[in-house]
Amino acid sequence: MDTATFLLSLVLAQTPQADLRCTPTGEDFIYDCTVTLARGGKPLERAEITVGADMPSMPMAHSVRPSKARPGTKPGEYHFRLDLEMLGEWAVKLRLGGPVRDQLTLHYEFDSQGATRRK
Amino acid sequence: MLADLIQNSLDGVTAGAAYALFALGFTLIFGVLRRANLAYGPAIMFGCYAATWTHLNFGAGLLLLAVITIAGGVLAGAYVERLCFAPHRGGSAIAAMVASFALWMQFEELATIVMPRHLYAFPALYDGPPLELGPFTLRIDGLVMLATAIAACALLWWILYRSRFGLAVRAVIEQPAAASLAGINVPWVLVRVFALASALGGVAGYLVVASHGQITPMLGMWSTLKGLLAMMLGGLGSLPGAVLGGLALGLIEAHSQWFFGPQWRDLIAYLLLFVLLAARVPWMTTRSAS
Amino acid sequence: MDDYAIGVLTNIGLFSFLALSAYLLLVAGEMSFGQQAFFGVGAYAGGILTALYGWPLPLAALAAMALGALAQFLVGLPTLRLRGLYFAMATLAAAEMFRILFELFHWRVERNGELAGPDGTQGFRGIRWIFEHGIEPVHYLILVYALLAVILLLLVWVERSRLGAVLRGVGLDPELAASVGIDVQKAKLGVAAAAGALAALGGVLYAHHNTYIEPRNFDIMLGVHSLAYALIGGLGTAFGPLLGVLLDIGVLEGTRFFHGYRMIVFGGLVAVLLVFRPRGLLDERMVLWIRRRFS
Repeated sequence: MDTATFLLSLVLAQTPQADLRCTPTGEDFIYDCTVTLARGGKPLERAEITVGADMPSMPMAHSVRPSKARPGTKPGEYHFRLDLEMLGEWAVKLRLGGPVRDQLTLHYEFDSQGATRRK
Repeated sequence: MLADLIQNSLDGVTAGAAYALFALGFTLIFGVLRRANLAYGPAIMFGCYAATWTHLNFGAGLLLLAVITIAGGVLAGAYVERLCFAPHRGGSAIAAMVASFALWMQFEELATIVMPRHLYAFPALYDGPPLELGPFTLRIDGLVMLATAIAACALLWWILYRSRFGLAVRAVIEQPAAASLAGINVPWVLVRVFALASALGGVAGYLVVASHGQITPMLGMWSTLKGLLAMMLGGLGSLPGAVLGGLALGLIEAHSQWFFGPQWRDLIAYLLLFVLLAARVPWMTTRSAS
Repeated sequence: MDDYAIGVLTNIGLFSFLALSAYLLLVAGEMSFGQQAFFGVGAYAGGILTALYGWPLPLAALAAMALGALAQFLVGLPTLRLRGLYFAMATLAAAEMFRILFELFHWRVERNGELAGPDGTQGFRGIRWIFEHGIEPVHYLILVYALLAVILLLLVWVERSRLGAVLRGVGLDPELAASVGIDVQKAKLGVAAAAGALAALGGVLYAHHNTYIEPRNFDIMLGVHSLAYALIGGLGTAFGPLLGVLLDIGVLEGTRFFHGYRMIVFGGLVAVLLVFRPRGLLDERMVLWIRRRFS
């Protein structure tokens, strides 16, 4: 394939990277979260994100109400609220729409302090 | 190399002693009911969590914690027996086992509700250094576990062969129909066997949690899996088999982990069980399992 | 329809494949603790074929079903002669072996400048076929239920046929079945293969819905739950397992009425219900009663 197509395919194929930061709201298992999205090193803006979560060892059995993320102040930052059923490790699913259509799964351990990345 | 083998064997036997205790409880229940109690581990976990909760909120000594664990286990076991096994006696084995699984779910959720953190500290059984036997080390709590397993065997033997209750139990195991015709109150025997198995499980659970110094909600699943595996390896329905199966499982795990790592450790144990079952090895498949 | 409802309904549909898989074996008289392994086989096989080798989803699904059927057949060959708890423990051991093998399985291939594929305990990311083909969640929901409907039609048709009677007979009284000349082992193996295919189909669909799978997804919890759903829903009809799934994931979990207490409620419900209905809500007697009522 020619150079232009090759470069285009590289750009289009890059998986977005996400980082999550959560703080407990005080109400049981509800967290205020901020996700930072980047792609190819640059912040991913104007993404439409729907957030869900599931537990790795009992998939399909937990129903976390999906929430839509609002853009934050900094480019690539989005805020949302996560209402979980219990503490422990959750697979947070970000369904991206808008400029990039994809689904990211992030593993975070949720405790009384916030969320720590697992993988 | 030999030193590793011996050390691993020592570790394996002490871990296996815990498995043996769980397997004994499973076997007692299986022996009289011909069913596996999937809520056995979780009921034990209930007792351990009750003790942990007491310790967290009131502080308690080791002996009190042991008593609470055993009492909690017996209470939970009675609940399981009444709801899952008494109603299906003579009926569907699958219904009983699935019902016991349902109660397992209850115990697990209860634990995570009352104590939501993944890990809680539990007062250690013994805080000091392990015993040194030349180049080998032996943990003191491991020794206690082993001694308890041996004592439990002796106690069970005495109960089964030197007491009237034991005679009734053996009658129910060997000839359930004849036993009730002979006037033995079979349901009452079952209730007491369950209580005995639960108490045994409580002891095992307490020792495990106190040896590790911590408790997690995985205890229910872990003890159930190990107990079932050990019971099957040693021959379903045989009490000496349960002990041997437990010790064998401990040894196999210790050596597999040493040579191949933790994933292979579990893989080899499951593979062994599968192969033994598939080959329908006589000692494993003689007793009918409904 | 809002996102939440679509999500819950899709989950119900996906779990139903697993529950049906356990149900088939229960009707044939065997209790399997291991259907989650074949769910996993389907998930990994389907995901690898679409994400790494560009296969279209329908073809990958068929291949995954074939693989699931083969896997369950091979596991069943030496074990289906076992009964009761022995068989259950054998399936448990086999399923755990599969799960550990998934943990040890690495198949990393370069795709579009990045490494993709199953990476042991790190899981298998990027199963993006439905994204790449612009399939919306609601379309996928329809697909899942369309497939489920086809399966149910097939199963109901089999149930009303002589084959269905034979299989139920094998389940309820294998000695009697054998005495009238039915090859019990062959019947059970056939059911096992079908169960494996069904679980694998559920697995492919799950993998593509989630875009990410990992070995932990396919552990004992999944298997014993599907067994419970099949039994509690009822062994009298293929709609039974669906009812079981609907009760737990739909009513209890989906309505969030018992937020945080669901397993306590469902567990208690199952145990109590089984006391009165050991073969589930839609057991054979109930199904017969319904048929008489409406004929």
